[in-house]
Amino acid sequence: MLLDVMQAGGGFILLEDSVQCSARGLLRCFIHAALKRGEDVHVLGFESPETQVCAGLDSSSVQRLHFHKGFPDPLGWTCRSSFTVERFTSQHITQLIKDTQHAQASVLVVDSLSMVLRHHDPVVFCQTLQELRKGGVIKTIIGLLHSDLHQQGIVGIVCHLADTVISVAPADNERLSVAKTTRRTKSGKVMQEEEYFSVSEDAALSVQAKPRQPGHVQRERDVSEADPTSNLTFNLRLSEDERKAKEKVALPFVFSQQKKSALLRPTPGSGRIVYEPDANDDVDEEDPDDDLDV
Amino acid sequence: MFPELNSILNSTPDSFKSSDFILVSDRRADASFLIHHYLSFYLRAGCKVCFLGLVQSFSHYSAVGQRLGVSLAQAREKGQLVFLEGLKESFGVLLQDTSQETQPLSYLRSPGAGLEGLFRFVESCVRQSGDGNAGESWGPPVLLIDDLSVLLSLGVSVGAILDFTLYCQATVCSELQGNMVILVRCEEEDADDDEEGSNLLQRGLVHQCNLALHVEGLPTGYCRDIHGQMEVWWRQRGETIYNQRKIFHFKVHDKGASFFARGTSSAVL
Repeated sequence: MLLDVMQAGGGFILLEDSVQCSARGLLRCFIHAALKRGEDVHVLGFESPETQVCAGLDSSSVQRLHFHKGFPDPLGWTCRSSFTVERFTSQHITQLIKDTQHAQASVLVVDSLSMVLRHHDPVVFCQTLQELRKGGVIKTIIGLLHSDLHQQGIVGIVCHLADTVISVAPADNERLSVAKTTRRTKSGKVMQEEEYFSVSEDAALSVQAKPRQPGHVQRERDVSEADPTSNLTFNLRLSEDERKAKEKVALPFVFSQQKKSALLRPTPGSGRIVYEPDANDDVDEEDPDDDLDV
Repeated sequence: MFPELNSILNSTPDSFKSSDFILVSDRRADASFLIHHYLSFYLRAGCKVCFLGLVQSFSHYSAVGQRLGVSLAQAREKGQLVFLEGLKESFGVLLQDTSQETQPLSYLRSPGAGLEGLFRFVESCVRQSGDGNAGESWGPPVLLIDDLSVLLSLGVSVGAILDFTLYCQATVCSELQGNMVILVRCEEEDADDDEEGSNLLQRGLVHQCNLALHVEGLPTGYCRDIHGQMEVWWRQRGETIYNQRKIFHFKVHDKGASFFARGTSSAVL
């Protein structure tokens, strides 16, 4: 599903990562895929330089890529940036995109949303994102979020806004990482898939369903072939007659209708008590406790 | 300078990677011996060093530096080392009536305002043309900070510190091709990890850095011959993301520290 999301685009795609595994490589793949589709890509780079996010592009793609320099001055301290974090509002961004000529389906990439959340109120931020989604000027929004730098609640809010959430984690294999994709369609159906992927130097994404480990498969086959009733000094198997007799046995506490009625019918000569008084017993009919020596 | 650490990290004063952001962190241990290592390493390499010593006095570093073979006083006189002594200068800020935004320690008066003043000090220091008294030019600039988590206890927010380190990385590492070494001390992990604290700061810095060295005590307890374990985490280098981790044991001596693979301590073999 990861490749489908990357190639189709559309909606708000959230890339979630942590210190264990960075999703910036995956972000580069998404940018390359969008450029190959012929879309205009606007990158708001606050956290990393242009070279790190947009390397390895051919000349035709470079024309459609607009890197708005937040880094190295995302807060405007040295007055060298073209887009500061404070200007992350729907009016400014929409204006920015409308300023580019021949704007077709535009893709907005934010690196990273964590930087924006640090400087904006979460509620205002969510409103901005929602306005951008419904604005009609932007077709796809791709954001990178560091999930371990925010409270759980805030991460949950941003995930809720997203149409697709891709969380990356390290896999046992050092060369691969695991991506868990959760996709919500307009009808409300939720699809989830877990895949292993790796990103090459030139931002090519290769996805595998499971890592290839031949040793594991062979071990499973061995276990299913062992037969416990063979090679014993006693016989554990049943012949046909023995099996039929076994199935006919009535279990002790399973009652059939006949057995129930037989038990409930009183039979003569059963259940009578006969009492013969002893010599020491002085049975007084009026006071039965009289023989007690109290 | 510790030769064994140099071979682990594959760097010598003559050839080391530039544009590196190295994060040194510790938890219930003391990783300041690594700061002394990097101080002597970069001074020997001939780099211009800007050292923000927020927790110790100059004479402390100078005394340890002498045992490692570098003279800090001499380096300061020549102009190779610029030392901001946080403890001494803080009096000046607190006793003055007026304070400007651009003073380096202005966060002491208004911690909510952020660390822009400190960044301006760092910027002016690393951008100075490297001319020593004898007209020598120094190598790429290096920023050393010991330690950053003390700012949290002074009221500065985690977000402001992360912005400051981002700006320092942009200026020192990306633009001037220099290096940066920052020490952060973490507390115990507890259940409320969402709150602002040194653990959140450490996570944010790990996201930004290229190499993370984390020092902890041995998980099995105290040992006389092994002082602790150090985890080396190679994160990324430009566009390539490595994500490779290794753990070493170390022992700190009078004049250095020795590092060895787990289980190969000289007391055991």
